[in-house]
Amino acid sequence: MSHKRFYYRLIPVVFLLIALAIWQQADFFQRAAGIHLPKGVTPEFKQVLKIDKPCVDLHPEWRLAQNIDGVKMAESRLCEPDNPYDIAAFVLGMNNISMPTLMSTHIAEDALIKSDDLDGDGDPDIIHIKLEVLELNGATPDSPSVFPQYEIAPGIMPGMWAFSPKLRGMSVKNFRSQKPNAILRAPSPVIRVEQGDKVYITLENTHYFPHTIHFHGVDHAFKTSKGGDNDGVPVTGEKAVMPGKTRTYELQPRHAGTMLYHCHVQTDKHLMMGLVGMFVVEENRPDNWVQTFNVGAGHVRYSSAAIKEKYQREYDLHYQSIDKNLAKTIQQSNDTREISKQMHRVYNMSESNENYFLLNGHSFPYTLRDALIIAKPDENIKLRVANTQHSSIAVHIHGHKATITDYDGVEQNPMAQITRDVFHLAAAQRLDLNLQTTNDGLHSYGEGVWLFHDHVETAVANDGMSPGGNIALMVYENMLTEMGLPELRSDALDDLFSNRYYAKKQVLWGKKEAGTFAPNTLQLILFGLLLGIIVGLIFFIGRGLMRAD
Amino acid sequence: MKAFTLLFFISLPLFAGMNHGGMIMDDSGMIMNHNPDVLPKDCPKISKDVDITIHAGHQYTKGFAGKMFTYDKRDWQVPGCARVNVTFINEDDIRHQFMIHGLPGYMYPKGMFTIEIYGKGQKTASFIVPSRDYTYYIHCEVSQHTEKGMKAQLKVGEGSGDLDSILGLTAALTPDIYPINNTQITWVSLLISFVVGVVFILYLGNILRIKLS
Repeated sequence: MSHKRFYYRLIPVVFLLIALAIWQQADFFQRAAGIHLPKGVTPEFKQVLKIDKPCVDLHPEWRLAQNIDGVKMAESRLCEPDNPYDIAAFVLGMNNISMPTLMSTHIAEDALIKSDDLDGDGDPDIIHIKLEVLELNGATPDSPSVFPQYEIAPGIMPGMWAFSPKLRGMSVKNFRSQKPNAILRAPSPVIRVEQGDKVYITLENTHYFPHTIHFHGVDHAFKTSKGGDNDGVPVTGEKAVMPGKTRTYELQPRHAGTMLYHCHVQTDKHLMMGLVGMFVVEENRPDNWVQTFNVGAGHVRYSSAAIKEKYQREYDLHYQSIDKNLAKTIQQSNDTREISKQMHRVYNMSESNENYFLLNGHSFPYTLRDALIIAKPDENIKLRVANTQHSSIAVHIHGHKATITDYDGVEQNPMAQITRDVFHLAAAQRLDLNLQTTNDGLHSYGEGVWLFHDHVETAVANDGMSPGGNIALMVYENMLTEMGLPELRSDALDDLFSNRYYAKKQVLWGKKEAGTFAPNTLQLILFGLLLGIIVGLIFFIGRGLMRAD
Repeated sequence: MKAFTLLFFISLPLFAGMNHGGMIMDDSGMIMNHNPDVLPKDCPKISKDVDITIHAGHQYTKGFAGKMFTYDKRDWQVPGCARVNVTFINEDDIRHQFMIHGLPGYMYPKGMFTIEIYGKGQKTASFIVPSRDYTYYIHCEVSQHTEKGMKAQLKVGEGSGDLDSILGLTAALTPDIYPINNTQITWVSLLISFVVGVVFILYLGNILRIKLS
């Protein structure tokens, strides 16, 4: 009995110890700062650090003005100029170029046929165009990564689609490369035809989903001459063009201007995936061969006769946005039923966001490679701006005020044209601008490296990491390097071309982030001892009481 | 007459503004309530002349990760009734202040003494503290400078305790919470100490039981 009393007396000790343990509880997972804050750490980055060169100078010779098969094209001082052999092919048609030119392109021989000068004015009037549907950064069963790997900005590869001129040969750069060749890219190419041309556009559906083409703002009859679907809308016309099938649309546009074309199957998704491009109808002029495709949009190396009358340069600016969740739907399976379910039924466009913003298929800083506007003083520069985003854009060019000459491909009365510095385009709208580089304090403030970008600030970041999005530069020639980059502070681009920066693992304006506290080991040991003593004591008391009976 | 009275009352704040003498301004800064000679009621004479030099600037946050501006020293102590001659040196190219609160309102309007310097430079001015033990609050009132480190205290006599969140001296009243970087060692040491605790008490118990029996 006296033994029992001894053990009973120990019970309050247990409660005391428990109270002590609660009071002296160790910080296991977080701790409030005392006098000193944590010393800081460099963020962990698990991927292989990759730092790109601002310009990979692959084809410096392509920048020169040149004459290929009689096509005299302007110089293009960009880091990544368009392949001049492609330009020659797009101007003459595949049927009118030499074999060496053909061999220097990746274009199929039947992709673009130009023939029949119907009105006898020196240029072809029957144009046959063949378009394919390609996928960038899609799933592959042979690798955990995506294929072909098209980076819109360092380390960023959202799943995308695009129309493309019919290709031939490998889609990648070479046998060892995972990267698509230069034609396989976003956005869908700008298509240019001459007013009055008889244009036959064949969609060859090389993709695994049904698609169509709808011509937005381009003069076309509701049905083809044979009574087939000509508006591309599955509800009002024929069923969509199934994978492996083709359909030819017919146009003979009577009105010139900057228009669009896009897929009209599940349009909300397919358009945002990238099946949308600019469609330009050039005014009819004698001997007017137009550059039928402007792959990747941007600088037009071979402008039409009407544009050359008024302008020294011409640029196509295609603004585009991507919802990363939509982009992901084509990256998670190779079962087309599953992809279709994820994209068309699980993904909900009414809950969408826009995370990536592209100008001519790239986001900053890659826009520096091929989306610059290059200028000289006292020029008139034709800008054709199209907004294919869901949200509106408000494009601003630093240091300049440009004049809006056309809205949605319709010329504004010259007396009523507006000169301003923010250009608002709602979804699918187009503006033609005359960007004058006269240093008069109104149209231009002089030479420089001037930023131009959408002023809707969500759009100047890559998934929220700034600077990014559709930022690009207007660079005067005297501030352009040999390699086609703007003259900048030597360290200006250091961080931006690493994949760490856009993975949000690069500390801004410093080396360290706050990080964590080290564990207080002594406190932990004391707490552990205390717990051990409590448990041991309970066991001791329990055993003692049982034995005492 | 009524109009005059009204005018008088409307213009009162203006008079008040002009009244608080002690405002010395030039293009490099401002001194407010400079007082080298007027004694507080409770001080028969100046007990001691104390010269202090305070540097202000970004550079002094070195060693204090996560802060942006501070003074080179943030804790001062003077005897009651001392005349404090402050030489305030701004090392940054922007505006900083040495602003002290809580002085007697009857001689320092709003209870403040301030030296403000608009850019790099220095100024000297004085104030006389009362006799009671008290900790005065010193800071730079430029937006977020106090919060990001530019805060100090002046103890008169024994002072009245330390103020919160003075760099290197006291913790914040509302401290930031940081995660703890636990490793396997953390959990192993916890487990071992627990086992040691259990074994220890059982061993002790055995000895006790042997003695009891």
